[in-house]
Amino acid sequence: MITRDVGPSDDLLLLQALLDGELDASGVIDMERRIAADPRLAAEYARLRALRGAIQGGALREMAPASLRARIAAATGVPADSTSSNVVRFPDTTARPAAATSVRRWRAAAGAMAAAVVALVGVNVYLVSDLGSNDLERAAVAAHSRGLISGQPVDVVSTDRHTVKPWLAGKVPLATTVVDLATDGYALSGGRVDVIDEAPVPTLVYRHREHVISLTELAKGSARPSAPTRETVSGHSVVTWTDNVRRYVAVSDMPPPELDDFVATFRRAAASEREDSPPKPVK
Amino acid sequence: MTTEAARSRFAEIVLPYLDDAYTLARWMTGSASDAEDVVQDASMRALRALETTAVERPRAWVLTITRNTALTWMAKNRPANVTSTEGVDGPLELPELTDPAPSAEQDLIARAEQGAVRAAIAALPQAFREAIVMREINGLSYREIADASGIPIGTVMSRLARARMMLMNSLGRPA
Repeated sequence: MITRDVGPSDDLLLLQALLDGELDASGVIDMERRIAADPRLAAEYARLRALRGAIQGGALREMAPASLRARIAAATGVPADSTSSNVVRFPDTTARPAAATSVRRWRAAAGAMAAAVVALVGVNVYLVSDLGSNDLERAAVAAHSRGLISGQPVDVVSTDRHTVKPWLAGKVPLATTVVDLATDGYALSGGRVDVIDEAPVPTLVYRHREHVISLTELAKGSARPSAPTRETVSGHSVVTWTDNVRRYVAVSDMPPPELDDFVATFRRAAASEREDSPPKPVK
Repeated sequence: MTTEAARSRFAEIVLPYLDDAYTLARWMTGSASDAEDVVQDASMRALRALETTAVERPRAWVLTITRNTALTWMAKNRPANVTSTEGVDGPLELPELTDPAPSAEQDLIARAEQGAVRAAIAALPQAFREAIVMREINGLSYREIADASGIPIGTVMSRLARARMMLMNSLGRPA
């Protein structure tokens, strides 16, 4: 337990301990009173809470790849867990134990109820801002972001679709529709394999000016063909649609109208590629 | 050689936390393939330990093994990337709280893009990055982080505070 017997220069540590749910009930009450009385403390606490919000929204949580689970199963002789741990977990629905713990402690401290209300309101705003997006889109955005941060949005670097397609074919069970859109301003830069819902899926990476576009193709399942719909997930534009063969998720930080144009261009090219099958020699 | 009892404990204690272990290893090593190697090594260590060890807090236990394995693995395979923690825990000189920050800064932090957040965390010194990942992403308590890292709770608190100051500074600046 953290003692409260510290000097004023430790205010930041105390604010942080409050944020992390590491203060006992009387400590919480004490800090809440001080924050209410001191605008400097209030401002610093607001910044700490803003940082937590940014971190929780940052898609920092990674999923152990299916290949790793398989390796461990082989090495240990323990079959990969097919229940709880294989459920795809998303950053904004997990890893919030601190909030849960804090809320419990706040509830125990009548004097701190106001703080609990503030915290809950904060969480609600968070959820509302994500309304309308589903797990698939969030997973696609997370994979896109990971690629950008690592500086390696592609596992196979090639502007030639006749290189990218066979590479993907060796990695994923789906045949991937790969089209060359360079003349339309969207240069193919390669492909990678993402894991969504525990299944490896092909993702094509296109570039448009300085922007990167990730296009993930998924098995259609029982989904019926649907027109592209666009929404914003954590600051990224995401367009999803389903054609007769596949379900698609396109993610980019491009202005939304440009992403719409990319999707329209891709759909035209994909449709004509299928009609033209076997494909005409590329120019 | 591995007993059935150890395998069954492994399924119960380690497998549910593979995502946590992989996340920590990924952020510690900075590489997906290195993280896979680390987590596989850590799993083998855990399986051996489970022949004799009783585990009370599985998540913290799995992450402790993962962290230690990652450090050993990096020292052996990526020596150039291993930074000493010496000096990082010098006297804590946190800035005095300033005047109420303009709300613009708080807004900037709250609206930081995922990419910016990830880059800022990746840029933290190893010891700070490790602490912030264990706290914010793995959800460990101060006590659990202290046990996992072999450092006093006070050091955990100052590392977290410094990490957060750095993150707020880098995310709170207009781009």
